[in-house]
Amino acid sequence: MSADIRVRNLVKHYQVADREGGLRKSLRSVVRRRHRSVRAVDDITFNVQPGEIVGFLGPNGAGKTTALKLLSGLLHPTDGEATVLGFIPWERRREFLSQITLIMGQRQQLYWDLPALDTFLVNKAVFGLRDADYQESLGLLVDLLDLDEILTKPVRQLSLGERMKAELAAGLLHRPRVLFLDEPTIGLDVTMQQRIRDFVTRYNATTGATILLTSHYMADVNALAERVVVIDHGKLLYDGPLSGLIDRYAPHKTITLRLERPVERRDVAAFGEVVEADDLQVSVRTDKAQAASVTARMLAELPVADLSVEDPPLEYVIDQVFHRRES
Amino acid sequence: MIRSRTLAGFASLLRAELADLFQYRIEMFLYGLWQVVNPIIYLVIWSTVVGSGDIAGYDRDDFVLYYLVFMAVSHLTLAIEVYTMAPSIQTGRLSPHLLRPLHPFWRAGALNIAYKAVNLMFLVPIWVGLALILRPAFEPDWLGIALFLPSMVMAASISFLIGSCFAMFAFWTTRSMSFWDIWMSLTLLLGGQVAPVAVLPGVLQQAAVVLPMRYTVGFPIEVALGRVQGAELAAGLAIQAGWTVAAAAAFVVLWRAGVKRYGAVGA
Repeated sequence: MSADIRVRNLVKHYQVADREGGLRKSLRSVVRRRHRSVRAVDDITFNVQPGEIVGFLGPNGAGKTTALKLLSGLLHPTDGEATVLGFIPWERRREFLSQITLIMGQRQQLYWDLPALDTFLVNKAVFGLRDADYQESLGLLVDLLDLDEILTKPVRQLSLGERMKAELAAGLLHRPRVLFLDEPTIGLDVTMQQRIRDFVTRYNATTGATILLTSHYMADVNALAERVVVIDHGKLLYDGPLSGLIDRYAPHKTITLRLERPVERRDVAAFGEVVEADDLQVSVRTDKAQAASVTARMLAELPVADLSVEDPPLEYVIDQVFHRRES
Repeated sequence: MIRSRTLAGFASLLRAELADLFQYRIEMFLYGLWQVVNPIIYLVIWSTVVGSGDIAGYDRDDFVLYYLVFMAVSHLTLAIEVYTMAPSIQTGRLSPHLLRPLHPFWRAGALNIAYKAVNLMFLVPIWVGLALILRPAFEPDWLGIALFLPSMVMAASISFLIGSCFAMFAFWTTRSMSFWDIWMSLTLLLGGQVAPVAVLPGVLQQAAVVLPMRYTVGFPIEVALGRVQGAELAAGLAIQAGWTVAAAAAFVVLWRAGVKRYGAVGA
């Protein structure tokens, strides 16, 4: 099976004006402009197979959004190649644009003063959707996203979460085969985040669409993507299953104990690095390989009332990835 | 040929832009009013200056008639792209339009037409009212009136395309508006705004005949009023057609180069 998204040595440099603060510096920059080249995407290569959901991880400014903009055809690369569904994205051919969507949490295509339904009708015409197909898509989206109440209100009167749902629907009416989702849950409350996540999962399951998403929220990535691509400073650091990322960068388990009576800290420290300790609750970080034997010893030697063994939180893992790179 | 899907897309954009602009009725009314003020000033000045004589074949009635037609022509050939397209390039709001399978050209066109159509609601009564008050003598030139429409369509096209070209400077600079101001000043002088081209001194008049500005405003008025005849009329229409093609070519070249530089800033 050929990949839906194929990226080879993709590079994007930006020219940015370099200007220091202050009036004198400003005046100087009138005469002599200084420019600096930023490598937003620096030689990245990966594939995404049909139907896959891949999470794009990286700190702010890592180049995630730039990569999505390149792959959806908004930007022309400085170097390298990419194809999406066999098309070169930045040629922006009609057949290509009809099969993809880019949804950005902070950018909107909806007409601000009109009900979302008006934007939907524009998209129906622009994408050349037949009445029956449009109605079917709309029905599905209204159902999955619970849009009933939202569609006839002017967009400016919608809450952030409602707007995001309408935005998602506007971007999906034409049933794209490839979805680029850039921070689809940004600024939303936990419940709404969860709903958007459920929606993406169900959309993927019903349509078999290929999805590449970025998010700041680890919960998004955790819930949606089995595979992650980690980039920082435009470079690809890791590409593989989420579990592999944990094995590689944070091969620990956190063992949390509830004790029957307080014990000396050094008695606990003998089992591993103590991350948290108060009277009756202690968390110890231990090597993944030794987690089983350490647990057994703890049960034997300490007054354990209750015990749990957990993978480290993804935030911690990501922090390890970037921390290790910098040090 | 333009595909039917493109036309359907354009029609739906036009409907949405019209609905959107109706939200800003008061603002539109004020803009509309502003567009009437300038020609009234020119009209008053020239009617006073000319007295009971004539200047370059224009007597008082001719000036009144010229500026009454001017109000309609300048509105219908207005270019707003520096205020609509340029900011969307700078702020990244162009992005969703780039990702639709319809060239953003069509959306800019829809916005342009919708803007003019909505404003007509306010302007037509003002034009008719002024015409009834001023009642200039008018002997219709039927050939001119027949050729007015094609000349207007070309004028509006040149204006829209050149306006879009200036807007596309936003792909390179944040100051596309300043370049546009220079262009507008030149149009004020050479486009038949501050005075009909025939009234301009020799050198300026010669320049106006070959440069594009006159063909965005002044020329269709001259055609409608029968001010250009015979060979001069034919030549004028040919030059206007030439500028339409040239402006379209410039649009295509600038678009292709500009969109490669598009930064899609923002999220």
